[in-house]
Parts: sequence; C-alpha cells; structure tokens
Amino acid sequence: MGGTNRPFHPVLMFEFCADPKAIDGLKWMACYLTTPKHQQFYFSFLIVLALIAGTAPLVMLLGFCGAFMRRSAILPIKWLGHIYTSMVRGVPDIVFFLFVPIAMDQAFEYTRHRILCPEVTEPVYRGNDFVVCTAAKLPLSSSPQWVHETYGFILAMIAFAVVFGAFAANTIDGALRAVPKAQLETARAYGMSERQTFWRIHLPQMWTFALPGLSNLWMVLVKSTPLLFLLGIEDIVYWARELGGTKTSFFEYPHPDWRAWYFLSLLIFYLLLTWVSEKAFAALTRRVSRGMATQGGKDATAGNAAEPEIAGARL
Amino acid sequence: MDSLTISDTQNNNNNANMSGVPVIELRDIHKSYGTLKVIKGVDLAARSGDVIALIGSSGSGKSTLLRCTNLLEIPQQGDILIDGEAVRWKAHHDERQPADAVQVRRIRTNLSMVFQQFNLWGHLTILQNVIEAPVTVLGRDPAEAARFGQSLLEKVGIGDKSDNYPSQLSGGQQQRAAIARALAMEPEAMLFDEPTSALDPELQGEVVQVIKDLAIDGRTMIIVTHDMKMAADVANHVIFLHQGVIEEEGSPDQLFKKPKSTRLRQFLSSTGA
Ligand SMILES: Nc1ncnc2c1ncn2[C@@H]1O[C@H](COP(=O)(O)OP(=O)(O)OP(=O)(O)O)[C@@H](O)[C@H]1O
Ligand SMILES: [Mg+2]
Repeated sequence: MGGTNRPFHPVLMFEFCADPKAIDGLKWMACYLTTPKHQQFYFSFLIVLALIAGTAPLVMLLGFCGAFMRRSAILPIKWLGHIYTSMVRGVPDIVFFLFVPIAMDQAFEYTRHRILCPEVTEPVYRGNDFVVCTAAKLPLSSSPQWVHETYGFILAMIAFAVVFGAFAANTIDGALRAVPKAQLETARAYGMSERQTFWRIHLPQMWTFALPGLSNLWMVLVKSTPLLFLLGIEDIVYWARELGGTKTSFFEYPHPDWRAWYFLSLLIFYLLLTWVSEKAFAALTRRVSRGMATQGGKDATAGNAAEPEIAGARL
Repeated sequence: MDSLTISDTQNNNNNANMSGVPVIELRDIHKSYGTLKVIKGVDLAARSGDVIALIGSSGSGKSTLLRCTNLLEIPQQGDILIDGEAVRWKAHHDERQPADAVQVRRIRTNLSMVFQQFNLWGHLTILQNVIEAPVTVLGRDPAEAARFGQSLLEKVGIGDKSDNYPSQLSGGQQQRAAIARALAMEPEAMLFDEPTSALDPELQGEVVQVIKDLAIDGRTMIIVTHDMKMAADVANHVIFLHQGVIEEEGSPDQLFKKPKSTRLRQFLSSTGA
C-alpha cells in the first residue's frame, strides 16, 4: 500500500524523529504514535465515522421507500417492498455485505462493458473469470489509488444502506401503522387532504413509535462498522491488528505484541460513540414524544430525562 | 377583544341561509357493512339554527348516520345535500364513491365534527390543535387564527390551557378544547357524536353547558347522545333511531312526554328518562 495518491498525506510530525534508534521514553512514544502508518490508523477512525454519517441518511431514504412500497395500493410495488424487506432481513448480514458490493461492481462493469466495448465478442464469463475490457473497468486501472479506495468505500456504504434500510423500512412501516386511526380520521374530518394528513399528523406522530427501533438500528449500525474489514477496506480493525502485532528489531520501532492495547482503544472508541448516541437519542425521543400520551411523552412533558428503550426487540 | 365572536359568525351564517334551504339534508340514506344493513333509509333535514338530537339504543346506527353526513362513511344509497348542493358520486368497483375530492373537503370544513373520544392531535398543543385546520385547510393567517383560537378557548373556559398538550388536560377540558377546534373552522353546522359519554358525570356538566351556549347562539347542530336531559334541554327536534330506521321523531316535548311507539317508551324507561 503506497503512501502516495491517498486522500490523506502523512507528514513527519517532529524533527527529532529522524533517527528512532537514538531516542527513547516519551520522545520515542511521540515519534512511534505519529508514524505514517499510525496516521493512517487515526484516519481510519474518520472513515468509520464517515461510513456511519454517510450511511444513515441512505438508510432512512431506503427505509421510507421500502415502507411506502409496502403500503402501496399497487400490488406489484407492494410485493417488491415486501420482497426487499423480508429477503434482506432473512439472510445473514455478512452474506449481504459480501454479496452486494461484488454484485454491484460486476453489474456496473458488465453494463459498461456492453456499452463501451461492443466490438469484444468473447463472453464476459470465461471459465472462472469475470473479464471486462479495460475501458469498462471500475475504477479505471489508470485511476489513482484513492479513487479505488473511495469506490470500494462507496460500494460498502451502499451495502450497509441496503441491509439496514430493510430494517428501517420495517420499523417505519410499523410506526406508521401504530399511529391511532382516529388521529388521521379526525384530520380528514377537518378537511385535510391525504397529503396534508400525512405531513401534518401522520409523520410527526410516527416518530414516537419509530425512534426506539431506529435508535436500536443505529447502535447495530455503529457496531457493524468493523465489517468493513471483510470488504478489504483498511479500517480500524485492520490497522489495530497490523500495528499491534509484534515488531522485531528489523522494524524502525520494534515492540512486543501490543494488540491488546490497540483493541482496547477501539473498545473505548466504540463505547464513546454509543454513549454519545444514546444521549442524542434520549434527547430526540424527548423532543418527538412531547405531549404524546405515551410513557416517553408523559415523562417528557413532566420534564424528566426519559431513558429511551434501547433494549427493545433485537434485530 | 376579538370582533369575531361566536354569535357574530353565526349571524353571518344565518344571513347566508335566509333562503330556507336546509344546511344538511339526507334523503333515503342506506348504509351497510358487508351483509350487515346498518342504516335502512333515513331522511333528515337540519335548517339553520336547528339543534337535532339523535337518540337510540346502542348499535342502532346513530354514529354511522352522523359519519355518513360528513362522508367519513360512504352510504351505498341516498343523497346528501349540504346547503342544497348534492354530493356527486362516481362508480368505484362495485361501490360508489364521492366523485369530487374537493367537494368532499369543502363539505367537511363546513361540518365540524366533535368526537366521543375528543381525538385532539396528541403532538400539538391545545392552541395548535385549534388553529391547525384553519391554517392548513382554510389558509388562514396563523397569527390571526391564533388570536381567534385563543378567544374561542376563553369562550369554552380553558383560555389558560392553550400551551398545554392534550394529555395534560382532564377529559372535560379536552372535550371543550375539541369544541373550540370545531368552532375555529367557522362551520355552518356542527356534528357531535356522544360528546359527553367518555366523561365522568361531574365533568359532563361543563361540556353540556358549552353546548347549551352554542344552541342559544343559534348554532346548527346534530347531536348524537345518550343524555336525554341534554337532548330535552338543547334540541328543538329529536330523532329516535331504531335498527337503522327512524322509529319516531318530533319536538322534545312530544317525544319525551308523549312517546307514541312502544319501542321509544321502552327505550326511555330503560334510560330512566
Ligand atoms: N366499520 C364497521 N364495520 C362493520 N360494522 C360496523 C362498523 N361500524 C359500525 N358497525 C356496526 O353498525 C352498527 C351500528 O353501529 P353504530 O356505531 O352506528 O351504532 P351507535 O348507534 O352509534 O351505537 P352506540 O350508541 O353504541 O355508539 C353496529 O351493529 C356496529 O357493529
Ligand atoms: Mg356511536
């Protein structure tokens, strides 16, 4: 893995690190923790955060699409919605994480191959190989390293979104159903159109019922990010193993097996992340259930800090 | 403080209805659920200022008839005329449906409904509940609607609750808020479905008082109720519904003092009236 052409460029932090053999103690530690590889390790934390931040809106988008499809009056669309949610929910996540990026990659390349290289007559599948012409490769072989990594990252993000979107669709659909019919009927009785009823009454009341499930989903999403490792992305797990392993005196900074320390840092990172998330969801729950005659709403109107029901149904 | 008081609006409505065309007219309404015939040919006319009480035993079809009036239920047969304007129908599979969604919405904004279970929108404060439909449906200016809404809340005696959520109010207060919400639409007529039945006896009085005031103001109302005393006090016309047909109707004096049919006599003695 060359350090060039990355979205991120390691820098030499301290002048005195030029000769690691000559230093020790705190100085050695400072130099050790700022090596280019460590900087990539720190950068990979940002990748995890970016994955979560990028995936969450996609999950909501797919969740709403899936929920609306399931509620559609048009039967084929309804079925499609049900097929999507039950198929994804019925297959182990890991299988989907491995399947979606490869399938999408091959589908993209195959389509480009058909369009860009019509003159190639040999089949794309040759024996065990999937071969497309050079021009159809994604990304092009000539692209810099960071394009390849970003492409892989985006595929991973879509895989996460597809999987979690199905769960979100289920949660949102259930929450839309949980809003009492009388509330919507009253809106119609006061002359609201279907659209107004949805935006003014149905959607705002839906969040109270959706949030426990969605916060649950968020936690599982956060905790699933190490699966990036499976997709060949150099994530925090990859770097923790890589950097923590025993380094003999052939290395610039030799040290014994420090993997426990590295994984401990991951543990603290995830704990912090989930702790912040819980606080955020508690605040959100209080906000959306204001006035609602649910336990959360009662607590919220009474001004208590209501704990959200994170420990709801497991996925 | 607000020039647009309830009685002022009502006078406007009266002027608009000097022609004598009923505000609400139902002709030969039939409604069934599957094979269960619930309403079997009911006629009803409410002129401006009429207060009609719909009474009858449980399951006789009172709620269904009321809900047909503002098209929350679609009767399979019969005509509904609001201010003389007949609801237009279209065929939809085997059943008929209103042909014009805009007409349906216009009718509904003219007939405000008050529900047994209040049905205040839980995520909105009391004042927000009151101004929601005037602003989103009628396109009223929010500040103007809020001032009018506040005056209505004061009229029904809960002016201090405008920033509370429905779940923080007693049943009687919630129902009075629901009545204010109905009034905020400045409807031509109001439909009440057992407005006091979900309330403890000591809370019923405050709601009955509000309805009495509305009757004195000359509001056009159809009230489904099990409260015979309220029916006798506020209604100028009482309809006794039995198994989906009008068994007997007339003035409260006639019906409550000199009931003709045995069924009505039985019903009245069973309610202890
Ligand atoms: N949505 C529905 N589907 C099927 N049957 C219904 C439906 N709504 C009402 N019914 C039936 O229609 C009949 C009349 O019901 P309705 O609610 O109009 O009675 P009601 O006179 O209002 O009674 P109550 O005094 O108990 O409110 C009942 O037998 C009821 O079971
Ligand atoms: Mg009823």
